[in-house]
Amino acid sequence: MRWNLTVFFLALFACVSYGLYQLSYEVQQLEDDLAGLRRGIENNHEAVKVLEAEWAYQNRPDVLQALAARHLPLLLIAPYQVAALDDIPVRGAGGGAPEMRVPVPRSRPGRGLRDRQAPPGSLHLASFSHGTERDEGVQ
Amino acid sequence: MTGWSGQKSGQVDSGLANGRVAVSQFRVKGSAIKLEGVGKETLEQGRNRLVVAGVLFAFCFVVLAGRLVGLALSGDGSVETSGEHLQASRPALEKDVGSRGGIYDRNGQLLAVTLDTVSLFADPRKVPDADAAAKKIVRVLPDLSEATVRSLLSGDRSFVWLKRHLTPKQQYDVNALGIPGLFFRDEERRFYPFGPLISHITGYTDVDNNGIAGVEKYFDDQLSGRDRGQAEPVALSLDVRVQHALRDELSRYMSIFQAIGASGMVMDVKTGEILGMVSLPDFDPNRPSDFSSDSKFNKATLGVYEMGSTFKVFTTAMALDMRSVALSDGYDATEPIRIAGFRIRDDHPKKRWLSVPEIFMYSSNIGTAKMADAIGPKKHKAFLAKLGLLERPAIELPEVGAPILPPRWNTLETMTISFGHGLSVSPLQLSTAVGSMVNGGVYVNPTILKKTGETEVEGKRVISTKTSGVVRRLMRLVVDKGTGRKAAAEGYLVGGKTGTAEKAVNGRYKRNALITSFVSAFPMDNPRYVVFAMLDEPKGNASTHGFRSAGWTTAPIVSRLVSRIGPILGIAPKDEQSESVQKALHIPVYSREKNVASF
Repeated sequence: MRWNLTVFFLALFACVSYGLYQLSYEVQQLEDDLAGLRRGIENNHEAVKVLEAEWAYQNRPDVLQALAARHLPLLLIAPYQVAALDDIPVRGAGGGAPEMRVPVPRSRPGRGLRDRQAPPGSLHLASFSHGTERDEGVQ
Repeated sequence: MTGWSGQKSGQVDSGLANGRVAVSQFRVKGSAIKLEGVGKETLEQGRNRLVVAGVLFAFCFVVLAGRLVGLALSGDGSVETSGEHLQASRPALEKDVGSRGGIYDRNGQLLAVTLDTVSLFADPRKVPDADAAAKKIVRVLPDLSEATVRSLLSGDRSFVWLKRHLTPKQQYDVNALGIPGLFFRDEERRFYPFGPLISHITGYTDVDNNGIAGVEKYFDDQLSGRDRGQAEPVALSLDVRVQHALRDELSRYMSIFQAIGASGMVMDVKTGEILGMVSLPDFDPNRPSDFSSDSKFNKATLGVYEMGSTFKVFTTAMALDMRSVALSDGYDATEPIRIAGFRIRDDHPKKRWLSVPEIFMYSSNIGTAKMADAIGPKKHKAFLAKLGLLERPAIELPEVGAPILPPRWNTLETMTISFGHGLSVSPLQLSTAVGSMVNGGVYVNPTILKKTGETEVEGKRVISTKTSGVVRRLMRLVVDKGTGRKAAAEGYLVGGKTGTAEKAVNGRYKRNALITSFVSAFPMDNPRYVVFAMLDEPKGNASTHGFRSAGWTTAPIVSRLVSRIGPILGIAPKDEQSESVQKALHIPVYSREKNVASF
């Protein structure tokens, strides 16, 4: 009985110390992980700042203006080019408009356009002509 | 318990020292062994010592166990303290890693930021082959000269700077060279992505990152975290897009008219927020030492100028507000005024009676001087003081100039100041005062800090709403039919006033050096923004038929600028010919000219 108790306590002691050591190492490991994560966060913060600065630098208005002048046909906006969202007619409000815009393969481009009338209320695109001069001109 | 009691048989002096002998003489009685005599005492002593030692150790273990339990339960120990220490040493980890806060524009664009950079230094004694190392270094850092690097690396010092503030890519490249004896040191550097665009407002810092100009200086404590222990960012009221449009147009016209300088401003009339403020020539805050002090001079806030006819806005508003004259009244502008040896004459003389709207649209000095004279110097001075034109304006910049007042203020001074001569004010003061004329008559303090929507803007009333409405129409009339026709921007209902003044140099006016300015607001049916433009010593050219007055040189700047920034600022263009607009901005001219053919 006495021996049993001693053995039990020894075993308990061994277990507890093993557990403690395990815990201690685990804590150390977690500490290292935490420090690593913090370092990583800091590095990322710094990197984000560098990237933000880079982004701002690359988006300098004079650079964008030069690029726009080279690649886009944009000039000063004339007043008639500005419209509110409400001024744009709702597509398909007149009913049955959408199929007009689907490109369907045809033998001759432009043939038959003359017969079809855009439904009232639909948006007239600049490229959409009602098949007059262009219809004959383009073969 | 086992009773180990020794019983001595025979004289064993050696005690336990000779165990074999002693044991052989033990007499086993039952299960108990008894020891007696000296041996027993020795054993007792040993046992006592053992117990004492055991108790001591037990005590230590109990203390350790208690500490362990305590740590496990409370979690407050050295481990956590180190973590807290880590956090305490980096207070702004979440908000801003760098030591100095950033500067942002009203849309959150980054205007100034502190970046961690690395600087390259070398320990020449550890560099094995200076020649080869210099060759390699120059290959990745082309702005260094090979000879300099070689002489630096072959010296016998232990520390030489090779290059400060490398970019991350340069650091990578240098690292990839693998030269022993080269080291990096972490440093911080203030960086301004937009370069010269906002130079006068952001200002710049010295090598120790202390602000020494502009916002950097004014908000140095807040940015560096000196007052609250935490670096905080600053959000300005500027809009980078507006600022760019302003700078672009000013520099374009500055070169067209070969002016030596220019300045401009865009200000919100309701809140006093400055959306754009430019002074040319400007500098790059990333390398301020490369620029002359002339380019660091902020003409918009620090420079004070005699603004010329733009002051007629205030004179006319004052006369109308004090009911000294009605809109349909007028003054005779046939003859120049002679007073105290001076002659006040008109640039575009009409040589007839002019109504108040005519005086304003033709910019008649004679008429305006008579208008101010009817009010008197005292009231005139008090009125201009209310508009903040007689004292240093309050704005969040260190570079703010005080106006230059005349030594005395009598009838002559009142007459000249009425059309903008004899009193020097800064463009900032002029823009703010004109803003208060058109926004309904309330003076709002200018600011370069972003105002949030909720805060009520405080202001003090300077003229009545009705007078403000008349001033709006008069300014619109100038652009519609008067001297500022070139400022018209279709759809945005620009109204303004030209101002051409001769530069005063050493107390004398220089005839060939002009300051031309144009102060305007748009849209005039409900003004939102004041736009100011000024050119310093413009020269006429063929496109202006040699003229260099404000109507020819600065009014076109405003026209183009408003067309550019109107869509950015969300001002919907209106049909200027529509009946409602015409009605809202209609003003009778009351001309008594015989043949009114022009309008």
